[in-house]
Amino acid sequence: MTAIETRAVAQRLRAENLRLSFGAIQVLKDVSVDLEPGRVTGLIGPNGAGKTSLFNCLTGLYRPQFGGIVFGGVPLQDLPPHRRAALGISRSFQHMALCPDLTVIENVMVGLTLERRSGWANAFLPLPSGTREDAATRRKALAALESLGIAAVAETLPAELPPGTLRLVEIARAMAGNPKALLLDEPAAGLNAVETRDLMRALQRLIRPDLVVVVVEHDMDLIMQLCDRIYVLNFGQIIAHGTPAEVRADPDVVRIYLGGDDD
Amino acid sequence: MSDLTQTDTPPRSFVDRALDPKALATLALIGLLLLLPLGAGGYLVYSLSLCFANAIGVLSVSVLVRYGGEVSIGHSFFVALGAYAVAILEKQAGVGLMVSLPVAALAGLVGGIVFAYPSRRLSGIYLAVSTMALALALPEILIHSEKFTGGFEGLYVALDPLPGLPKASQRYYLAFGLLVLICLALVRLRRSPQGLALLMARAHPRAAEAFGITRGWARISVFALSAMLASISGAVVAVASSAVSPNSFTLWSAIFLLVGSVVSLNGLTLVPALVGGAFLTLVPNYLAGAGDWVPVIYGAVLLGVTLAVNSASDIRRILSRGGRS
Repeated sequence: MTAIETRAVAQRLRAENLRLSFGAIQVLKDVSVDLEPGRVTGLIGPNGAGKTSLFNCLTGLYRPQFGGIVFGGVPLQDLPPHRRAALGISRSFQHMALCPDLTVIENVMVGLTLERRSGWANAFLPLPSGTREDAATRRKALAALESLGIAAVAETLPAELPPGTLRLVEIARAMAGNPKALLLDEPAAGLNAVETRDLMRALQRLIRPDLVVVVVEHDMDLIMQLCDRIYVLNFGQIIAHGTPAEVRADPDVVRIYLGGDDD
Repeated sequence: MSDLTQTDTPPRSFVDRALDPKALATLALIGLLLLLPLGAGGYLVYSLSLCFANAIGVLSVSVLVRYGGEVSIGHSFFVALGAYAVAILEKQAGVGLMVSLPVAALAGLVGGIVFAYPSRRLSGIYLAVSTMALALALPEILIHSEKFTGGFEGLYVALDPLPGLPKASQRYYLAFGLLVLICLALVRLRRSPQGLALLMARAHPRAAEAFGITRGWARISVFALSAMLASISGAVVAVASSAVSPNSFTLWSAIFLLVGSVVSLNGLTLVPALVGGAFLTLVPNYLAGAGDWVPVIYGAVLLGVTLAVNSASDIRRILSRGGRS
């Protein structure tokens, strides 16, 4: 293990020297990123560059063989996803991960599961404490939907809604529990231009000084307009990082995106 | 799509809910079934008591299917756990159902957890086959622990659950009352945080985990709940039929519970539960005249229901796709 700084650096999400391989294939080679609160950080790169692998290391789906991940001074690399969720790390999914049996607001209420205290007795009996908690959870879920401008579809089933709205529902679910870090996995995948614009406006409204926002995305326009900082990955390494203007001017990035054969 | 999808979730007034035609029909059915013992013959009342008990068993399998996405072909094990808890407590301690029902429910709950913990990573056909092992082993266990279980002969259950009422009608009302209470509890479960969490874990385990719901918790919870309902069903079966014996809890009874759940479209409300219970209890009784044709008729009905349901959902999917594109 590297010497990871474990002293509390408030709300900052850092990964240092991450190495990840599947068999002989090294997908991450000493990747370090520093994700600051109050800013939107983008992770970009061609297909197979290691963006999703890095994302999965941050959320806990993959365990890197080497390196550390620290969030607000707490080492994360050995924690499973549900423990990271308890520390305030929330995520959305590239492929829609809403439950088809639940209405939109119920799907968002699932995002508040960790806050709920009512036990199994409340699940079967109409006890006052459970009813109160249900109402409070419903209010919070509705507030999350309102903040993204989709409160009108609260009682609708996911199957009746277009992909753009479903993506916003996913983000509302991720935001409902007031997370400290929000990781978005290709939020614009499968959306048309209008939906992508709406998504960007909605995301811009979510930015708070204490919230780390990370976006993995293919859509360069979205990334360039939304992000304050961008990390560019290629072949499992960070080849450039900086503001959108700096990244756009970087000769390696230009070569990959304009001269290369990918994307 | 199903009765798990309740688009009318915001709390509505009691009057609104009571005026809903579906709710009115259910209330009318409850009223009819409450009055029925006053006019009907003893055999029908007896058969319906068993039907209610089996309906609870069908619900227990449907809970596993709906909330866990898993299938059990061994639920006769948990039904027997409840039935024998009642019979053994009556024989050894002389206590009636009011005492033994909570014990039976607890036995099912603990049995469910003990089975679910080691099998929490199994799913699909592997879990189904491991539940089958339970059902296969059970009759042998019952026969060989003769001292407690009465072996082949089984045990009688004679104590009145609700002293003071006529024997037949108290069994009827007890079974019916429990069935209605369980249906009400399941409606609440669907809206509870646990219900939402279980449905999310079933649909997208990874997404559920990102919000603090682990797969292990989901599996153990849903199995414990399902096994507890099965044991309650067993306790009521024991009282309604006045006896327990190993040949009521074979692999076949487990398969019929699953069949009942399929025929009821895995519904978790009163009407589907009664359809499933009737398929297990009343249909074989009233078809008894058909002799050797009973299994054939059963098979034909089962095939019919399964094919009709599948083609119905296909047709719906094609229609909705056509409507959108």
